[in-house]
Amino acid sequence: MNPKLPINCPSCEKALSVSQLSCGNCNTTVSGNYILPLLLQIPEEEQNFILQFFLSSGSLKEMAVQMGKSYPTVRNKLDDIIEKINQLKSENK
Amino acid sequence: MKTIIFNPFERYTENKLLFFGVLFTLIGSYLGYVFEARFDGVLDLHFPGVPTHFKPVIDNLINIVSLFLVLFFLGKYINPKTRIIDILTSVLISRFPFYLLTFINYQNFSADLGERILASIDTKNLQNGVNIAPIDMVVMILIAGITMLFLVWFVILLFNGFKIATNSRGTKNNLLFAGAIILAEIISKIILTLIN
Repeated sequence: MNPKLPINCPSCEKALSVSQLSCGNCNTTVSGNYILPLLLQIPEEEQNFILQFFLSSGSLKEMAVQMGKSYPTVRNKLDDIIEKINQLKSENK
Repeated sequence: MKTIIFNPFERYTENKLLFFGVLFTLIGSYLGYVFEARFDGVLDLHFPGVPTHFKPVIDNLINIVSLFLVLFFLGKYINPKTRIIDILTSVLISRFPFYLLTFINYQNFSADLGERILASIDTKNLQNGVNIAPIDMVVMILIAGITMLFLVWFVILLFNGFKIATNSRGTKNNLLFAGAIILAEIISKIILTLIN
């Protein structure tokens, strides 16, 4: 089981940032304060949706068939994610 | 099951929805002819007690066109990505409860009940009061209750269809939606009055 990457602070619910990265091979660690990439700041379910969108060559119709949902339902989901990412983009500036 | 009854627009493709929408409209118009019904307005269903011939077909066409045009322009205002087919299928499918309601006039049941109730009211001398038979009163309340439930079902279907077609959210858009239904009702009433 892959543990889920936490993106919000469990205490105050603010967005988390990366403070340490390590190499699994030589144990080198890098410390700093890195903001999570935009796509990692959204919930895993939405990340999977974007991945699915990419893998189906951006065809919402194909995605709708795969998900067993109607075309406008899938398009609305994409629009909501776009809106969320735009909001995160302006917050991160 | 809940999705099919209240929100088929979430799952089914536009082709399936269009097919069933057209099918429901044809069957509904035929039921209107069989049970002598008039769909004389977007939110109306009446049983005049006389054969209605082909009038239910015209009623349905006017209701569908009125509702479609008003909701489509509102949809485009809310979300420019709104598609014609999604609004059309919402309108066609949402009218299903109205078609089912025609069964309450099986063998002129509802029209006869209305006539009996009207006859029991002494219009010349209202002081005599109303002498409606208790059973007629119970049946009338029952029919009114069923009609209200089906009307709510119609609004839920239309609201869900419109919401998915336009990705509409918020109180302002919900109020605009309510206003659009009332506007469509007024337009359909005016057109039906003019052509009848």
